[in-house]
Order: sequence, then structure tokens, then C-alpha cells
Amino acid sequence: MFLQLVTSGISQGSIYALVALGMTVLFRATAIVNFGHGELFMLGALFAYIFVQVVGLGFVPAAVASICVMFLVGLAIERLLIRPMGDASHMSTAMMTVAFSFLFKGLARYRYGGDVLSMPPVFSYPPIEVGGVVVTVQDVIIAGVTLGLVAVFLTTFRFSRFGRIAQAASQAPRGAVLVGINLPALHGAMWGISAALGAVAGILTAPISLIYPDMGGGVLMRAFAAMTLGGFGNFGGAVLGGLLVGIMEQLAGGYISSSLIDIFAYIVIVVVLLVFPSGLFGSKATVRV
Amino acid sequence: MSDLEPIAPRYVVRPRRRASPIWLVVAALAALLMLPIFVNSYTQYIVNTILLYSLVGLGFNIVLGYLGQLAFANAAFFGVGAYVSTLAAARLGIPFWISLLPCGVFGGMVGLLVALPALRLERYYLAIVTLTMGELLRWAYIHTDAITGGSSGVAVPDPIVFGHALTTDAQKYYVCLAVTVSLYWITRNLLRSRLGRALNAVRQNELAAASLGLSPVRVKMIAFAWSGFIVAIAGALFSIVLGRITPDSFDLTQLLLHFAIVMIGGLGSLAGSLIGAVLLTAAPELLRNVAGVQEIAFAMLLILVLLLMPQGLSGLLTRYVPALRDRFFGEEP
Repeated sequence: MFLQLVTSGISQGSIYALVALGMTVLFRATAIVNFGHGELFMLGALFAYIFVQVVGLGFVPAAVASICVMFLVGLAIERLLIRPMGDASHMSTAMMTVAFSFLFKGLARYRYGGDVLSMPPVFSYPPIEVGGVVVTVQDVIIAGVTLGLVAVFLTTFRFSRFGRIAQAASQAPRGAVLVGINLPALHGAMWGISAALGAVAGILTAPISLIYPDMGGGVLMRAFAAMTLGGFGNFGGAVLGGLLVGIMEQLAGGYISSSLIDIFAYIVIVVVLLVFPSGLFGSKATVRV
Repeated sequence: MSDLEPIAPRYVVRPRRRASPIWLVVAALAALLMLPIFVNSYTQYIVNTILLYSLVGLGFNIVLGYLGQLAFANAAFFGVGAYVSTLAAARLGIPFWISLLPCGVFGGMVGLLVALPALRLERYYLAIVTLTMGELLRWAYIHTDAITGGSSGVAVPDPIVFGHALTTDAQKYYVCLAVTVSLYWITRNLLRSRLGRALNAVRQNELAAASLGLSPVRVKMIAFAWSGFIVAIAGALFSIVLGRITPDSFDLTQLLLHFAIVMIGGLGSLAGSLIGAVLLTAAPELLRNVAGVQEIAFAMLLILVLLLMPQGLSGLLTRYVPALRDRFFGEEP
């Protein structure tokens, strides 16, 4: 029972980790908390569905196409909605992310509102049983893809030229501009990457869950919980936080009451922010001025 | 950004604020009182909704615009108001007009609860922790179905005011009007008093305000409690206007509607909240029948306001007609 819950927790938590990672990338680069990230997650799944069902691609090409489309969506958000606002207050930028989340939700509902969509099963292998624990192929794929992406991501950010540029720009935006870094272009790229990461999470979820316009809200709150738990703005913290939230949520649901699953992320947020606001891996004084 | 801003523009000597001519106030009130004669029941219902949402904007603006705190517990206040007044009437048989004030006090206490994290946390941290408040309460409404009726909600009995049961929308309108006008008037005066200036001071520079002998802790507590009071009363009105409340009425969508009313009307402008309420309650009502279109229109409106008029509609109006500022849109933040 325990191991079974942990297994499904890891699978769920991987999704949260990817969503939280996408939000952290954006937060680090632009100091914007994206309240519309759940809708980017939803659009990723929806585009994959459209490419499979309407265009008739296979699952993998459809996934790649959806990720590319979402990268462009991210670029467009930055260029059309965020950049024209200049250096508006954090309240206005928060409202802008809320506004485009509504736009995307509305567009999805306008076209696909009436029915709940489900992806045809992609990998129909029988589940594997390891030492009494049932593991589905989907679980393995979700955890594997997440692990791979996170590894690629962390090494790129730490060691590549692009990663160093991004780090420099988030630590000292003005200094970065002075040494010739194109800050707006970098921010655009970060929006694109963040949206693409959200899309990956959505696509991974699509075959095992239903696709509907409101599917992003719950995931967004889980990602907030993951980021808070791991320390806001910390890459590794977001990933570990996501996994922990997924596992704890399943354990609480299995041992205490299944109605706790809906609410567990909120409890994590309240407890962490009130008891140790910097989270597990966050640094103490992180004042952005 | 430095906290040291040039002080000159903030202390421009303006002509003394003139009170609106008395006949204007009388004419406006008379028009509002006569309104039910001229409109049908459906329009009346929308007008009632506009009134209660302008009250929501008024309450939220105290925290968001005047105190400058990104706190998202507004849907929680709203829900507490609606549930307390409805359950008092449906389960305990307490008449609406008696439960209204305790209902506001309840909201004020939830406001104090929210003020506690606001003393420690800033910006997004505060936004996220207060966001959970409404969701936790919503979960509580769903899972205490013996009292709250669970996800299917509770039917609101006809509100009883001074022994008369109100059944028509026009009768409810007078209750909404009386409550809204009096709370608007009280809040306007409060914001022009020492307390209003204290809110401004704490928003602009907490340290400087403290050095002048103001207690930022106390100012924040008062602001949150007052905001919770008003919004809870708006929630009570919401319950009688709608006639049935369910936990889903107080979800994130409700919160975003409140946020949008304040942002579109203009941060720190009371009359702006009224404009925001009119736009965001009346317009979506017209688009109700097509799925998704309501959300699209709502989003486009928000995006346009954020890109083209960062001060909200009231900011736009006062820029082109400065005379309006002193008369209606005072207390610019």
C-alpha cells in the first residue's frame, strides 16, 4: 500500500515538478509569477489532442508539434502583452497573466466547451508488477521524461553559454544590458521555454486524464505549493517540491481521507509560508527591488 | 526603485474640495429611488448585482489600492458573508436585517486573520497564501454538508426586513441600495480622515510612516478588517439577490472577477469600483449564452485596460476632465 501510493505519487509529482520548473524559469528571469501557467499546461494537452485527432499525426510527432506551438505562444505573450507594459507594477503584471489565462480558457471553451475530451490510449502495454507494486508504462514514461528534462535543464543552466547569460541577466539586469545582453530577447526566450515546459507536462498528462478547459487550475496551485516548499525561485527546489507534494498528497489521500487530495497543496502552502517562508532550499534574503 | 521620490508633486495646493451641489445628490438619489418603476424584473436583477459588486470593489480597493497589498482573500470574505447570513436565516431562523451586521463582523474577523500573514509576507507570497484562504473555505463548505448542504448548496429563504418578507427584485433593490449607499458614504469619509492618510503613508513607505508615529501593524489590521466587513456584507446581499448559494460561487473565478473590477475601475478610486462593477456585471450578462465568449470578452477588456490605461478607467477620465477628480474620483493614490 505504502509503496503503491509512493509510486503513483512520484508519477503525479513529476507533472507538478515540470509545471513548477516552468514557472520558476520565468520567475528567475523576469520576476513575474505567472498566474496563467495552468492554462499553458491545458493548451499543451489540447494542441496535442488536436494534432492527434484532427490532423491525424502519431502521438510523438503531435507532442513535438504541440511543444513548438506552445513555444511560439510563449514568445507571443511576451512580445504582445508583457513587453508593451514596460516596467509596470507587480500588481499589473499579475493581472495581465490572469487576463491571458482567461483568454485561453475562453478560447478553449468556445471551441471544445461542451464535451470532455479524452486522448486515445497511447501505450497499451500491460502494467508491470514489481514486488507487489503495480507500475504502468505511463508512470515510467512520465517519471523518465521528467528526470531527463530536469537533468538537461539544470546542466544547461549551469554550464552552457546561454545558461550563464540567463543567470547574469537575472542577477543583475542592468549590468547584463551594459555588457551587451539583449534582455528583451532573453525574456522572450524564457517565456517560450516556460510555456514549452508547461506544454510537456500537459502532454504527459493527456493520455491518462481528461482534457477540459478548467484542467489547469488545480495543477497551478500544486505548482505554487511545490515552489513554496522548495524555496521560491530555486530550480532543484521546485522539482523536489513537486515530487514531495505529489507523494505526500497520495499518502494523505490513502491513509487519512481521499477528500484531502483536493486540498493538500493549500495546506502545504499555508504551513510553509507561515512556519518557514524561505522553504527547504530557498535563500533567506531574496528581496528583488 | 528607490523609496525616495520627489515630494513636490504630491503636495500641490489644490483648490479646496467642493462638495457636490446638493441638488445633484438629491436628483441622483431620486432617480435611483424611482428606478424600479421603469425597469423589468430581469433588468432589476442586473442592477442589484451591479450594486453588490460595486460594494465588493469598494471593499477590495481598500486593501488593494489604498493599502497596496496584493491579498487575494476577497472571495473568502464574500463567501463567509453569504454563508453566515444564509445559514442564520435557513437553519436558525434569524431575520436578514438582524444578521446583516454580525455577518459583517464575521467578515471583519476573517479579515483580521488574513492580516496576520500580511504582516510578515510580501507581494507574491502574500498573494499565494491568501489565495488558499478562499479555497480552504470552499472545501469546508463542500465537506460539512450537514450544515451547508455540500456541493449542491443551500436555498436562501426570502430575506426578512423589519418583519416583512422581501419577494420581488424591486424590494431587494431597496435593501441593496440602502446598504451600498451608506457603506460607500462611510468609507469615503473614513478614507478622507486620518485613517485614510495613514493608509496612504503605509503604502508609500512603511518605514517613514512608522517614524512618524503611525503603527503599520495597526493600520494594516484595520484596513483588512474594514475590507472584510464590507465584502462580507456584499456577500450577504449576493445570497439574497441570487436566491441560492453553492460552494462553486466562491471559487477562483469569483475572486478574479473582484480583482478585475478593481483593476479596470482603477486602483485607489472608489467611483472607479462602481464603473468596474457596471462594466463587468452588465456586459457578461449580455454574452451569457455562448460558451467561452464571456471569458474572452472579459479577458480582452482587461488586456485593453492594462495596456492602454494603466490607471484604470477612472484614471483616464480624470486625465481628460480634471474637474472630475475633486468631485468624484478624489483620493488619488
